[in-house]
Amino acid sequence: MADAAGRQGGFGAWLLDPKRRGALLVTPAITILFVMNIFPLLWSFGLSFFNYRANRLNVPSFRGLSNYERVLTDDKVWERFQTTAIIVGSSVLLQLIIGFLLALLFAKEFPLRRIVLMLVLTPMMLSFVSVGVFFKLFYEPTFGIVSYVMNMFTDDAFVTLATPAGAIAGIVIADAWMWSPFVMLLVLAGLVSVPKYLYEAAEIDRASAWRRFWTITFPYIKSLLLLAILFRTIETFKLFDIVYIITEGGPGSSTETIAVFLYRNAFQFFKTSQSSALAYIVLFIVIVLTNLYLYAVNRRAQETG
Amino acid sequence: MQTRKLISGLMGATVLAAGFGATPALSADITITMAAPDWPPTRFMKEHFDATYQSPAGHNTVLDMDFIPWPSFYERVAASLTSGEQKYQMIVTDSQWLGAFVEGGYYMNLTDKIKADPELTAILQDLHPALVSAYSTYPHKTRAQLEEMGEVPGPGVNYYGFPQFPDTYVTFYREDVFCHEGEMAAFMDKYGTNLPCSYEDWQDTDWTKWGQIGEFFQRKAGDMLAGETLEDDFYGIAYQAGKGYDFSTMAINAFIWQKGGDIWDESKAPDAQAEGVVNSDIAVAAFEEYLSYLQYMPPVAQTGQMDIFVIQDLYMQGKVGAIIDWVGLGEPVLDPSASTVHDKSAFGPAPGTRQADGSIDRTGNIGGQPFVLTTWNSDEVVDEALNVVKWWLSRDTQLAATANGGQSGLMSVMADPTYNDLRPWNRAHVEMIDWQKDVWHVPDFFELLTQQQEEFDKAITGQIGAKEALDAVAEFQQELLEDAGYIE
Repeated sequence: MADAAGRQGGFGAWLLDPKRRGALLVTPAITILFVMNIFPLLWSFGLSFFNYRANRLNVPSFRGLSNYERVLTDDKVWERFQTTAIIVGSSVLLQLIIGFLLALLFAKEFPLRRIVLMLVLTPMMLSFVSVGVFFKLFYEPTFGIVSYVMNMFTDDAFVTLATPAGAIAGIVIADAWMWSPFVMLLVLAGLVSVPKYLYEAAEIDRASAWRRFWTITFPYIKSLLLLAILFRTIETFKLFDIVYIITEGGPGSSTETIAVFLYRNAFQFFKTSQSSALAYIVLFIVIVLTNLYLYAVNRRAQETG
Repeated sequence: MQTRKLISGLMGATVLAAGFGATPALSADITITMAAPDWPPTRFMKEHFDATYQSPAGHNTVLDMDFIPWPSFYERVAASLTSGEQKYQMIVTDSQWLGAFVEGGYYMNLTDKIKADPELTAILQDLHPALVSAYSTYPHKTRAQLEEMGEVPGPGVNYYGFPQFPDTYVTFYREDVFCHEGEMAAFMDKYGTNLPCSYEDWQDTDWTKWGQIGEFFQRKAGDMLAGETLEDDFYGIAYQAGKGYDFSTMAINAFIWQKGGDIWDESKAPDAQAEGVVNSDIAVAAFEEYLSYLQYMPPVAQTGQMDIFVIQDLYMQGKVGAIIDWVGLGEPVLDPSASTVHDKSAFGPAPGTRQADGSIDRTGNIGGQPFVLTTWNSDEVVDEALNVVKWWLSRDTQLAATANGGQSGLMSVMADPTYNDLRPWNRAHVEMIDWQKDVWHVPDFFELLTQQQEEFDKAITGQIGAKEALDAVAEFQQELLEDAGYIE
């Protein structure tokens, strides 16, 4: 009888059977995910154990863990990790400070608040390339606005990117300019969720401003701050575009992040296997950070739930 | 009945076969997709092809140029080749890329085709030998090695490319400033030598005078320049000092070669060494001289970002008196809509190093690009692509290209009496081309180049000295080239 019904409905009816509909709906997404992400990931993982170079005809030979060993014992790699850590640490800290101050400002009502808020959010809506080009031009010592302003106080042109410290500062400022509004949004979400009666009660108790912040405000925003730190750390760890456009990693290699170094090895030097090994080490670090992020999200969900 | 059908069928087939044999090759629709940097010399090639090209084989040929912006040109071409998409039939390529993409099996060896075709052989014989050496040979043969062979094509030499745009660097300068009587007199008073105004003056300009020009014209906003009050700071000189790609190597190599030093010489592998050559005392002194003139250049030089486009921009904004830049970047300088100095600019040969006999050595690193064919093309496409090569390197096309911002590498075209007047920099280009040499062509060139650019950049930005930079470069190159088997 069932067979007869199946025959009557044909293949379409069989396929659209509620038992199979779920699988059918997710199949295109799974296929795309496999083709675009999982297969390249597995393939490059395999490549990291060979001595393959994409621009050579040589047949790849198995090298075991030697690419990983070479990468992990390369001083240049550790220098790039160090540079990345300095940029990540400085930039995320600056974003937190500016984002937090902006959130405190926008938590209050004032004239044109909505319009100003929209303008403040603009940088994070721009592309990385645009931001990189803007700041490269801002820092240009002959006609850039930074040098122009500084010229009012000094007689000589102000050359922001001439030293390693100046170049790192230049990148950190550009990245912080772009992403502080994102931190502000997260913190603002926490600030507006604080019940007003708590502040009223604190006022009756004559609690100091610091005491009000520490005992009322901070508990509401701390998990959101943690989310902001983790999210921005993961993103800044992969920083490529802004660095490549503003300094190309210079002066020398003083601003070359691990992402730029990886790109050079993979697509300019064609050290395909070695760069695959490095990419997996970077991926491992990002996965660890992502797990911390997910832990923080879950904790936040438990707190608010 | 069966027999009659068979006979008539055979007769029909014979007639058809005879008919095809009697007519020329069938015309076909052929599309040649060419990877090309997006700038005037390649834009003109496309326009002129569409307007004038007629296939000698009677094909309907389309030249489909894939114009790629310069900053991403290498990455885009490399990604296409290594991904195996086989998109391009022809590629405009930097000469340094030859080794990487020949060894990868992507660029076609044209030696047999050239030897079998008298027209291609004639073109090769007419090309300037510096260009043949740089643009065509792999493994690389120097101009001297090719000339020693005494015949073209040389025995045992592999040829890959023909010039699409042969470039040299020349001096762009402000005639209104350098030929101003007051400035000329003040320069003479200060240095006891003339300020170069005419082409002949620039022929006699060495690096010492280049430095003097830099010092002399370093002026602040409010100072006078050529009888007018400056609104912005002004600088006398600029040459490339950028971290990206080869934007300092090209200039530094010139200093090193002119002083008698050398880079690692791939044509002498496996005997040529990097250590002791790259960081020789001569090379260090040459690099120090290059660095010494940066103090007179626009402050962007201190950031290591003064590349060929930045100096072109600063010059067009009227902020620099003289720059040394590629001929290929000259056309926008004369464009009234882009350049404030379009009607004040003149061109001369680049300065060089004065020798003991008073002559000036202008040895420099060649620019420009050859074009090559790829290995996956059918015989029909290869033949038609070579017809395109012949069309591009024909006399009429080369003169038209030169009149529209291009350059020729054919000696017969450069000797044409009208050639020097076609564009204002042509005389300097013809003079400079004879001094050209090239950097390495080995597959590892990008790694060699990037590390060298980083070390040069540290010296340019004052983090380390010339010796420290060249020691680091030599050590790195020695290790890499030994690992790769180029040094024994």
